[in-house]
Amino acid sequence: MEYLLDIFLISISAALINNFVLYYFVGICPFIGVSRRVDMAVGMGGAVTFVMTIAVFISWTITSLVLMPGAPISSWIAGFFMSVDKAAAVDLTILTYIVYIFAIASSVQLVEMYVRKFYPSLYKSFGVFLPLITTNCAILFACLTVMSNVVGVDNAADAWDLGEALALGIFGGVGFTIAIVIMAGIREELDLCDIPEPFKGAAITLIVGGILAMAFMGFTGVDSGLKAALASAP
Amino acid sequence: MANLPTTTERFIQGILPENPVYRQLLGLCPTLAVTNGLQPALTMAAAVGLVLLSANIIVSLIRNLLKPHLRIVVFTLTIATFVTIVDRLLAAYMYPMSKTLGPYIPLIIVNCIIICRCEVCASKQSVVTAAADAVGQALGFGLALCSIAAIRELLGAGMLAGIPVMPSAWPAWVIMVLPPGAFLTFGLLMALVNWVGAARSNNAGKGD
Amino acid sequence: MEPTLSNGSTAPVGGLKNSNLAQAWLVLLLALCFGGALAAVQVNLSSVIASNKLNETLKKVPELVWGAQTGDMKVSADPSVVISPGTLTVPKTGKTSVYSLYRVSRDDRLVGWVVKAGGQGYAGKIELLLGLDPDAQKILGLFVLEQKETPGLGNKITVADWRNQFIGKKSQPPLQVVKGKGGGAGVQTIDAVTGATISSRAVTGIVNRTIGDVQGKLTPEFIHILERQP
Repeated sequence: MEYLLDIFLISISAALINNFVLYYFVGICPFIGVSRRVDMAVGMGGAVTFVMTIAVFISWTITSLVLMPGAPISSWIAGFFMSVDKAAAVDLTILTYIVYIFAIASSVQLVEMYVRKFYPSLYKSFGVFLPLITTNCAILFACLTVMSNVVGVDNAADAWDLGEALALGIFGGVGFTIAIVIMAGIREELDLCDIPEPFKGAAITLIVGGILAMAFMGFTGVDSGLKAALASAP
Repeated sequence: MANLPTTTERFIQGILPENPVYRQLLGLCPTLAVTNGLQPALTMAAAVGLVLLSANIIVSLIRNLLKPHLRIVVFTLTIATFVTIVDRLLAAYMYPMSKTLGPYIPLIIVNCIIICRCEVCASKQSVVTAAADAVGQALGFGLALCSIAAIRELLGAGMLAGIPVMPSAWPAWVIMVLPPGAFLTFGLLMALVNWVGAARSNNAGKGD
Repeated sequence: MEPTLSNGSTAPVGGLKNSNLAQAWLVLLLALCFGGALAAVQVNLSSVIASNKLNETLKKVPELVWGAQTGDMKVSADPSVVISPGTLTVPKTGKTSVYSLYRVSRDDRLVGWVVKAGGQGYAGKIELLLGLDPDAQKILGLFVLEQKETPGLGNKITVADWRNQFIGKKSQPPLQVVKGKGGGAGVQTIDAVTGATISSRAVTGIVNRTIGDVQGKLTPEFIHILERQP
């Protein structure tokens, strides 16, 4: 029961309260570049969510099994070359960033193959944006957040397990989709407005983004309030 | 093959005419995230500059060995390695700043500026030109970050680089150091840059 | 025999294999070189980074036990002060809690404990260092390590004046937060930060919960002191 509460809070936090785009500033490039039409925004959001989930799954697994200090697979392999004590302290976290970026690139390739096979028209409308998801900060950020909750945690019982990691991945993507779809809806209306010349393009998008961020600030404190309310309920 | 820009041209282009943030709209994530103070902004600009310079030099040295479909893998590997090194150096010698910048240092790996410069310049031109390009772009990036950071810190905390500048009666506009302030400041500065650019090209047109 | 094209050059069948191998060669060589560079960085810098992390909390410990002014003097002037990091395991139904703590002793006599505690604040996790006397009967100091509260309002919990309210308070009965300047009521009250009642309640709640967990368990049965590195 407490576990479900944990998952619920992580999900709400990632999607609304600490929204990836409007609070952590990751995924800004597609937020400004791809948000002109609602249907494209929904497609982009869906693709990012899909890739983020797969990438978080791969990175949690590799971190827990290979990269962490004292991880099972690397200690077992190191046990062949050195004493058991030293093998247990083998720390491969220096390779984290390299492993993560290649995991993300592989996830994007996987998703690209899947979309090309089963949704060819969607694939065509995406064009070059699908491979560009590799350079989307939001995905690497999700992997890094999972890593910081697994490696170097004071209390080993507080380290995130796979369910919590996947919750972050899925709902981080949902939050990104919410932000980008709202922005697309607003921009479709803005196209009909009389915007001064210097503001056209990125400038007005950023200002609208600022107002959206202000609106989302209203969600601050919802998770602590929910936690207090739900934890004290019988 | 078209004439590629010379070394000095690459250097000068990077600072204002092809500014990575205001003109090319690349690297927007750190631009919004670490500009709530001048010190984090300068540290981030220095980190990006270091990674950009190292990556450009390495890629330029091996540019004749690069084959088309593996070059992205090579770029990514090089950039990720240098970002890891810079991240560790920061954690060892500037620990408080490393904690402030947090996850935004590893996010340099997916910063479009670096991959773009490797692709456009370093893989095609000599080491000296690639290095000049890296320095120019890094200076432009630093300029952009500091312009936003100076405004946000001044209005939001009454300080510049941690030194109190405004009189103590100044009510700090806390919104400026929060996310909405980042978006609004950047948007308004972008409009200013566009306006200045349009005015200059209008004058140049009228002068002919 | 290899097929020839009209201009006499051989078809690139063998050449294709060649260039694939050549390309993989370059990536592998680069991977080896970079791997070596990273290993060198790891060997040289990992101990520096680890001691940075430790010192971040370690240097706060004296002032949490002896107070701000005398804390620094005590440690620098006095080689008989020993600060030992360790962990305290509290068995509970469901999740056992593990707290990091520091044992502070002088002339081999226990002076106090500093416990690292955390919990949910208004806008994110709050992490504290709590200084307690040897039996956890009295609070000796409080320091906020990490917080994400609203700037200008909630983050006033880091201000020394507010934190110093905790110094000298007894650990039982649990502390209460009151709004407005102290209603003259009990000794166990904390004035909330104006406009930040939830943040103030969060900190007080963390302090109460930690004391509740730790009281009666500051014995070798539950505490494991890490071996000092020479």
